Amino acid sequence: MAKVKKYLVLALVIFVAVITFLPFLWMVSASFMPTGASNTYPPKLFPEKFDFSHYQVLFSRLNLTRYLLNSIIISLGATFFSLFLNSMGGYAFAKFRFSKKESLFKFLLSSMIIPGQVTMLPVFLLLKNMGLINTYWAIIVPGMASIFGIFLIRQYAFSIPDSMIEAAKMDGATELQIYLKVILPLCKPILVTLGLFTFMGTWNDFLWPLIVMTDSNMYTLPVALANLSSEHVQDTEMLMAGSVITIVPVLIVFLALQKYYIKGIMMGSVKE
Amino acid sequence: MSEVILKNVGKVYEGKNRAVQSVNLEINDKEFVLLVGPSGCGKSTTLRMVAGLEEITEGEIYIDGKLVNDIPPKDRDIAMVFQNYALYPHMTVFENMAFGLKLRKFPMEKINERVNEAAKILSIEHLLERKPKQLSGGQRQRVAVGRAIVRKPKVFLFDEPLSNLDAKLRVQMRTELARLHHQLETTVVYVTHDQTEAMTLGNRIVVMKDGIVQQVDSPLNLYNNPVNQFVAGFIGSPAMNFIEGKIVNDDGIKFTSEMNVLQIPLDEKVFSKYVNSKITLGIRPEHFSDEDNALNKIRITLDVVEQMGNEVFAHFAIDGKPIISRLKPKDTFRIGAEVEISLDKNHFYFFESETGSRIV
Repeated sequence: MAKVKKYLVLALVIFVAVITFLPFLWMVSASFMPTGASNTYPPKLFPEKFDFSHYQVLFSRLNLTRYLLNSIIISLGATFFSLFLNSMGGYAFAKFRFSKKESLFKFLLSSMIIPGQVTMLPVFLLLKNMGLINTYWAIIVPGMASIFGIFLIRQYAFSIPDSMIEAAKMDGATELQIYLKVILPLCKPILVTLGLFTFMGTWNDFLWPLIVMTDSNMYTLPVALANLSSEHVQDTEMLMAGSVITIVPVLIVFLALQKYYIKGIMMGSVKE
Repeated sequence: MSEVILKNVGKVYEGKNRAVQSVNLEINDKEFVLLVGPSGCGKSTTLRMVAGLEEITEGEIYIDGKLVNDIPPKDRDIAMVFQNYALYPHMTVFENMAFGLKLRKFPMEKINERVNEAAKILSIEHLLERKPKQLSGGQRQRVAVGRAIVRKPKVFLFDEPLSNLDAKLRVQMRTELARLHHQLETTVVYVTHDQTEAMTLGNRIVVMKDGIVQQVDSPLNLYNNPVNQFVAGFIGSPAMNFIEGKIVNDDGIKFTSEMNVLQIPLDEKVFSKYVNSKITLGIRPEHFSDEDNALNKIRITLDVVEQMGNEVFAHFAIDGKPIISRLKPKDTFRIGAEVEISLDKNHFYFFESETGSRIV
């Protein structure tokens, strides 16, 4: 009986996995079909002949290289600064003694209830005054430090014993050395988690880049893809090729860091 | 020379919570000094002020003749071993021990030499490539000690280093620490709440209570001549027995216990001014005897008998108060047995009940 149950569960899992996987598969396979071939009846799951022309067009005529580069620079930049600043903030909130620490943190936390859309206009005006619209900084700067990131790191840093920091002080480490050589290595799982969140969030973000990047040369991939879909409504295969290019880097990053990511989420849930 | 001097050192936390009160202490070069007391007595805070991990709110601390109040820990030339080892989990044993030397920009050859030397002293040479999580508790403690000794500091500070170890390992490490101190000849300040560690390890013991130093003395002097009831009760295991009573003038000056079970004639010169005062009699477990020729015999009923082989801990009550005695083992000692027992009047301690201070 237990065995039957096991197989039933397995079958269900496979079924759900296939359902989830099918759209991805179709996206990839459609991107290799000649124009119009994905809309024929009966629908085809695989291309009869692999056609790379859409990719060629995307990278040559439609300037996708530039958008890809924009996305990479912005996402990596935002991730780097977010990890750097949030880890410093979270560490300070967890381990430093300063006056009004708790009330300051509660104040910061309370700002999490403000919806992001509400802040879009003021932040836009701020960036405009700073002359950052249509630069990479327009996306990187607002994402540099987040309450969520600080909170995440702070909770994790609580698990680092004070005596370890004190031991480093006795060993002769400066505050910066303690942060770089003791805290950061110990926070690796949570940094990977936060890095993934930030990278994927920035990479996939559509609305904010659309607002702050009016120069088409500065578009990120999702914005470029949206433009593509309005210009090439009929060309499903071209759109799918664009989608593949947009999705694959995130997928690679996620798969590569998956094991740390899970460790980060699970960390601290049980007493070891 | 590396003596440590504390002058009127005090610690007041925010909210006027006073943890340590005007501690005066001179720790000599190469001396092994223990700070003992119950938890919350300020011993760890005092140690942490010497280390520089806790701000000194009052008084002055000198290490090697230099005022260190405003000097950060790293510049005090001291090393500390923590209760929970505080090893860096992402580094190997070698890296853990070398960390302080690397930060101080020692050349690599020197680092290798120092780490290997320390590893040899502590017999952990075979563990150098391991990470802390692959080590047992005792091994981790050795690494923590190793991390301290590679730097060859002026002063070693130990904050309850053995309390995370099991009983057997604790005894073993205790001996090793004693040997290590002898070998390295460095000043050591050691905090513990374990009075066995205190008695066996140090040259001098500082007994603290409620942030105040009660007595500073050699282990034997503390044991034989405690200045007050607290020190008398804290040092020694099993602890000293206390019997409450008062001084009466009834055919001469006498101590009588609350329910008159004990009547002890006393020296008039000393005790005449205490007539009608409440007094506590202290007597250590080994100063009871059941020998036939003993004087001042009283008859008691044994409550609990703990046979240790070479001795027996016999529990009974005087005046309804639990008393523990350390006697020579006998088969007749059983729960419920009636025994005639005497108290050695040469080893009586008398304390004022109200203040706890010692009379004689």
